[in-house]
Amino acid sequence: MPFEFSEENRREFEKLIPRYPVKEAVMLPTLHLAQRQAGYISPEVMEYVAGLLEVPVMKVKDVLTFYPMFFEEPVGKYVIRVCHTLPCALADCKLVLEHIKQKLNTDVAAETDLAKGTTPDGKFTLLKAECLASCDVAPVMMVNDDLYKNLTPQKVDEILDSLA
Amino acid sequence: MPFIKLNDLEVEVPDGINVIEAARLHGIEVPYYCYHPGLSRPANCRMCLVEPHVFFPPAGAIVPDRQLATGCTTVLRTAPPDRKLDGKYDFIVRTDSPRVKKAREDILEFLLVHHPLDCSVCDQAGECDLQDFSFNHGRGTSRYVEVKNVPPKKDLGPDVLLYSTRCIVCTRCIRFCHEVSGTGELGLIHRGSHDEIDIPRAHDGTPLQLLDNKLAGNVVDICPVGALISKDFLFKSRPWFMKTVNSICPGCSVGCNITLDFKEDGVYRLKPRFHADINQHWMCDDGRLGYHYVNSEDRLQIPMKRVDGELVPTSWADALNLIVEKFSGVDAESKVVVGSAQGTNEENYVLQKLGREVLKTDRFGLFGREPGEEHKFPQFAIEADKNPNTRGARDMLGLGNGSVLEDEALWEGLSNAEAVYLVNGAPERPLDETSQKALESVDFLVVQDIFESDVAKLADVVLPGVTFAEKDGTFTNSSGWVQRIHKSVDPPGEARTDWEIIQQVAKRLGGDIDYHFAGEIAMDIAENVPGYQDATHQKIGDSGVKLQDDN
Ligand code: SF4
Ligand code: SF4
Ligand code: FES
Repeated sequence: MPFEFSEENRREFEKLIPRYPVKEAVMLPTLHLAQRQAGYISPEVMEYVAGLLEVPVMKVKDVLTFYPMFFEEPVGKYVIRVCHTLPCALADCKLVLEHIKQKLNTDVAAETDLAKGTTPDGKFTLLKAECLASCDVAPVMMVNDDLYKNLTPQKVDEILDSLA
Repeated sequence: MPFIKLNDLEVEVPDGINVIEAARLHGIEVPYYCYHPGLSRPANCRMCLVEPHVFFPPAGAIVPDRQLATGCTTVLRTAPPDRKLDGKYDFIVRTDSPRVKKAREDILEFLLVHHPLDCSVCDQAGECDLQDFSFNHGRGTSRYVEVKNVPPKKDLGPDVLLYSTRCIVCTRCIRFCHEVSGTGELGLIHRGSHDEIDIPRAHDGTPLQLLDNKLAGNVVDICPVGALISKDFLFKSRPWFMKTVNSICPGCSVGCNITLDFKEDGVYRLKPRFHADINQHWMCDDGRLGYHYVNSEDRLQIPMKRVDGELVPTSWADALNLIVEKFSGVDAESKVVVGSAQGTNEENYVLQKLGREVLKTDRFGLFGREPGEEHKFPQFAIEADKNPNTRGARDMLGLGNGSVLEDEALWEGLSNAEAVYLVNGAPERPLDETSQKALESVDFLVVQDIFESDVAKLADVVLPGVTFAEKDGTFTNSSGWVQRIHKSVDPPGEARTDWEIIQQVAKRLGGDIDYHFAGEIAMDIAENVPGYQDATHQKIGDSGVKLQDDN
């Protein structure tokens, strides 16, 4: 399916360009915009972005595989990232993670295999994350763009149950 | 020129050179991976660390700098008078201190962490920088006991395979595709120790673009390890079993400098050889992979003559006698001699002598491969003229009155020719209707060739000549560089060096031409052909000479 920015995103993109010294530098925000619109970065999106930024397709692939926040396959409506770096590990993030796994009856996704951690109803994708920069309130997780702190299994239940 | 102290040597080095090259000039090896003289310098491998020395005011003395520096990006320039070290040095550097040696061992240990050490089945073994530098500068053992990453082997394009496990992520191949070919097919996927070189692919691995640009083969040459491999050469030979000669690519009029690797049974590989003004470090894939015709089973091996409309094998003596008989019975004006843009200057010079001195004709023509496509890259160009020596052949054949018939003029010129001596030697040269008709109209046609080509099929006598890989001589490229090719393999069957064949014909027709080797002809060329005064084999050497008064 050919991809193209919506009119609104196209305007967003145009606004971004003058803020950077060269077009190639607009890569990250452009990919974010594109992912927000398309859900994930398909080959068509890659090629579209490469065309917009006037770079080889491989540059886009290069950047997008470097950062774990870009997806190359469909993900759930809610993407859960449980931090498992040292301070969260000390604060027992494992308990939180196991609880979510059981509750959603899913595995943890791998960066190159997101389906593995996505619930069959397409509602959730469960990922481990490196440091989310909130060690003082560990253990933490993010659900889409929101951060949740001082997690316990009960708190996780409340949060996930509240999501439609 | 900067005056530097390099270990215990005091030397002057060219301005702007880096420490790696300065050391190389003085026989000192600084190991390196990511640096390549033809590419940008990201200094990412850290293999080339050296120890600069600086003036340390509190101590009032020159001491080793706090940090080691990368030799690839440390550029040597003349320092202002008040910044000289010890009053005279522009730079002081050690490449052999214990600190440097320790750093090298450590870096090599890191680079080998995920390396499979599969040298026994690796094509690069024997010409591998990882092997050589590990042997010269490594620790010999690894402390890594964990599981190694095993990234997959990948097909990147028509001729290039990637053994990802062997890659040390120096990024030379990526930089080549950005800077030299400008095609940008290669990049890195994932991060850190999971970095892998790849072409763009969909998530399921389907390629979105292949590494198929016409310069792609160069990434195999510049890969310092056995990660990028040419399918054409894969498992064909160990490098140490092959012999190597310097030569010139016959693929087009650029005249890329190459090395030719061969064994008794044929040519195995062509690789680019540095020439600052012609091809830098590179060559194109048409040239690189274009050598297979040399090894072909279909090469002409014995002379042939036409009997009852069919070409049948014959002996050299018979073929030559037939030529003498027929050419002797024809007026000078009805004889035409056609040289080849595929042939060397030497054979075209002898051919010109045959024409002018023996056959007494001044009707000359030039034959060769048809023009192909021209390709331009940011740092390389492939020319449309697919012959290595159009310019040289014109210079030789045109000696004296200067007119050499080509293309349409040649075909028209043949309309009233009775006896024609034509040299081809191209890997392929189809004839169109006009040329076919013109050649058919010739009463007696001699063709010297390497295949039973379209033109050989029309001949009355066919003489088996040789390819660029089987002879000595020189080519003049389009920009006026006269360059040397060297004999590697022996010609097949009874095929003979082209200038020798022409000389035999001349001798039997009563001519006084008596050369013993190609270099002797080149000396005559230097004496007689304008612009070629320096073009003796001795002066040409391995780097060529430029024509004088660029004619
Ligand atoms: S494939 Fe070879 S040239 Fe490319 S990054 Fe790896 S080691 Fe370097
Ligand atoms: S550019 Fe021409 S001379 Fe150079 S390698 Fe290619 S075909 Fe050969
Ligand atoms: S060669 Fe200098 S850092 Fe790689």
